[in-house]
Amino acid sequence: MEHAEGHGHHITALRTLLFTFLALVALTVVTVITAQIDLGAMNVPLALTIAIGKATLVVAFFMALKYDNKVNFLVLTVGLIMVVVFVVFTLFDTAFRGDIDNVDERTIDQIERIEAAAKG
Amino acid sequence: MSAAQTSGVAVTPPPVHYLNHDKSIRSWLLTVDHKRIGLMYLVSVSLAFLIAGILAMFVRYELMAPGQDIMTAETYNKFFSMHGIMMVFLFIIPSIPAVMGNFALPLHLGAKDVAFPRLNLASYYIYVAGGILVVVALLVGKVDTGWTFYTPYSDRTSDAVLFMTMAVFVAGFSSILTGLNFIVTIHKMRAPGMTWNRLPLFVWGIYATSIVQVLATPVIGITMLLLFLERLLGIGIFDPALGGDPVLFQHFFWFYSHPAVYIMILPAFGIISELIAVFSRHPIHGYRFVALSSVAIAFLGFLVWGHHMFVSGQSAISSIVFSLITYLIGIPTGVKMFNWVATMYRGSIRLTSPMLFALSFLFLFAIGGFTGIALGVLAIDVHLHDTYFVVAHFHYVMMGGTVIAALGGLHYWWPKMFGKMYNETLGRIAAVLIFIGFNLTFFTQLILGSQGMPRRYFDYLPRFETLHAWSTYGSWILGAGLFLVMFYLLHSLFRGRTAPSNPWGAATLEWTHATSPPDHHNFHHTPIVTHGPYDFLSMSKGAGDGHFEEGSIEAVPSGA
Amino acid sequence: MASSSPATATAHADAHPAHLQHHFVSSDQQFDAAKMGMWLFLVTEVLLFAGMFVAYTVYRVWHPEVFVAGATLLNPWLGGLNTVVLLASSFTVALSIHFIQKGNQKALLINIALTMAAAFVFLVVKYFEYTHKFHLGIFPGENYAYADVSVPYIQQFFSIYFVMTGIHGVHVLIGIGLFIWLAIRAAKGHFTSEWYTPVELVGLYWHIVDIIWIFLFPLLYLI
Repeated sequence: MEHAEGHGHHITALRTLLFTFLALVALTVVTVITAQIDLGAMNVPLALTIAIGKATLVVAFFMALKYDNKVNFLVLTVGLIMVVVFVVFTLFDTAFRGDIDNVDERTIDQIERIEAAAKG
Repeated sequence: MSAAQTSGVAVTPPPVHYLNHDKSIRSWLLTVDHKRIGLMYLVSVSLAFLIAGILAMFVRYELMAPGQDIMTAETYNKFFSMHGIMMVFLFIIPSIPAVMGNFALPLHLGAKDVAFPRLNLASYYIYVAGGILVVVALLVGKVDTGWTFYTPYSDRTSDAVLFMTMAVFVAGFSSILTGLNFIVTIHKMRAPGMTWNRLPLFVWGIYATSIVQVLATPVIGITMLLLFLERLLGIGIFDPALGGDPVLFQHFFWFYSHPAVYIMILPAFGIISELIAVFSRHPIHGYRFVALSSVAIAFLGFLVWGHHMFVSGQSAISSIVFSLITYLIGIPTGVKMFNWVATMYRGSIRLTSPMLFALSFLFLFAIGGFTGIALGVLAIDVHLHDTYFVVAHFHYVMMGGTVIAALGGLHYWWPKMFGKMYNETLGRIAAVLIFIGFNLTFFTQLILGSQGMPRRYFDYLPRFETLHAWSTYGSWILGAGLFLVMFYLLHSLFRGRTAPSNPWGAATLEWTHATSPPDHHNFHHTPIVTHGPYDFLSMSKGAGDGHFEEGSIEAVPSGA
Repeated sequence: MASSSPATATAHADAHPAHLQHHFVSSDQQFDAAKMGMWLFLVTEVLLFAGMFVAYTVYRVWHPEVFVAGATLLNPWLGGLNTVVLLASSFTVALSIHFIQKGNQKALLINIALTMAAAFVFLVVKYFEYTHKFHLGIFPGENYAYADVSVPYIQQFFSIYFVMTGIHGVHVLIGIGLFIWLAIRAAKGHFTSEWYTPVELVGLYWHIVDIIWIFLFPLLYLI
């Protein structure tokens, strides 16, 4: 009901589609080349950034989300937020596994006695 | 589908409606009518509830005294696992959305059907396929993992787990399709004038539920697939013997299964909002807060899964974050509870059987919610984890919350579904019996848990015997109440009084604009919505365009 | 399903196209609903793969050296070739929608056929990659038997590699099935500029398959 008339669908121009495709191929070449160079810690973020850029191009132009109903954009955004939640909240655990500092075979009483002995 | 002839024909002596416009078996099995699909779900889901409930009765009977009474420990493990798996995946998750959502949602919106009727039917048969796989797994071997399938035990135990993981995968697919269908229906199929602020709160509940179904269920899909492949090909994602991390399985599992708790409870909230407003004959207090708190719960529900894993060995920072957000869930839930109570204040309360179920819900869910907050506290959870306290807590939420609300909803919509009134006196007796039986069964378990009785154990120390025995007695009362419901509802189909189109004096479209049972295409004319879902005042003044007859309300309580 | 016209006195006075199902008021409502449904389905696909991306991230954080070692065993040129093949197929899908929107049924059919061919090439390349690995004894998980590279936990990498690319491959296979179906219907002239919903929906599906690969390629083959 968002469209008033019957022929309201956006037709993406051939030029736009072609340029999108060429940009995608170019970015693929860039990512292959940069991956061969050792950039230290930067390799992973760079490759991911390029991949996100490529995915954005596909979504915006090939899938025509740029011209589409806003609600579909909302659907995708909420989905992507959940992916981020999934990754980040799992990493809260796995990246910090074993950070409980009071895990000790000795009892508190034993520890206190040893510490007291060390002091005195 | 020879549907064309029904609705156009002038309706005289034998009223033609969706149940009888075409009586062939084929017209049922291949129907794309959301109301019929809802009823087919009702039958299947009730069957799953019956089987899983009987399993629970056996488990309770075995636990009445220490030591082996009627079954071996192995059978016991199998029974409680089957009880959990069937209740969760075949009963509670599809219960309210797929039965009452399918039946009532398009009616609430003033639509002729859901957005994708054929997908809806497909989703039903996918559910049936999932159910068949569960039965196959049951016959092939023993599934004794509980409903949680924790690795590494599920990597080692019987191969029947393979079938069970596939069953969960398939049933999940059905759930996704239902949720997807409902979201699109709510967005695109509303009748003219049905703005977002005029949606009945049941629709908001279903909307929030569907969001969770669509976003969370794919993760249980991939989890089950990975577990399946791990058993089949020995990929080592979760198996510590192959370098995997079993705690990662728990993250995957609870990323779905915690939000799944909200798949179960959010539609129940929706039903309760309807029942409280209609039977208090008072517009719901704080409509927008009740509506949006459902959506808030749906999203917050994704951020708390780690509270199931406080003692799993996950990092402390993780436990703290998850515990903190768990408290936050209490806020939108509290908003709902207070608004329901406020709605009743100065309302004209009628204690019909649906309302009795709604009132039981308020009481039982409050206990379920508060014990949940207690379990979200890190230090307390270390003490109570994997005890009967947890078992009692989630039964207060799942059974005391969802099942009681589902029963309330079923009693509420029964006249609309079948055009028959059930016996009101028996309905009230059943509601009271269920309330008493439930509390006797599970409040004892709260005490047992706080005293240290571990869950899933076959045997226990003699000092727990008294409370276990009382819990088992409670389960008999509870079972009797549920069988009573089954009896008088089935009885009403044959002997029940004919229901008027609006026996409760409700203001939503299925009561004001549709006959009981509704026409094949729901409405004779597409409704034009001019007022809110709880605008009882303008309705009784005749300002609305419904055909609600004053007096039919009184007819119900006295006509038992 | 017979498009039975219900006895409503409402807005059915205008032309009632054959593709319009009875419960929708207008073709636009039907199209928007179908498209929104597809986007929701795509989100479920994204979350399905998210599970594997989480597994990838977790194990990469724990054992980064395994992923560097694993990538050396994969051929970036074959992976790159497949990336370009899939990008091209995405392009032809977008073209097929463009042409049917303009009513060009022949160009639609040609582009569907080209997409199908690209999907087929992708699977052939994947087949050679897989068989080469099996030949070396590179299997997922506990069956890993390639003595030359035996970094601890290397089998974890190949579990993730085979599961991710395997499930992606299944999606490509399903895509081929869908394109065959589309091609048959396109050849029968079912699609017009007025109604081309299946082309649009399969197109969206195919783009998401492409996007998944856009991420899989650098994560597995390059870094």
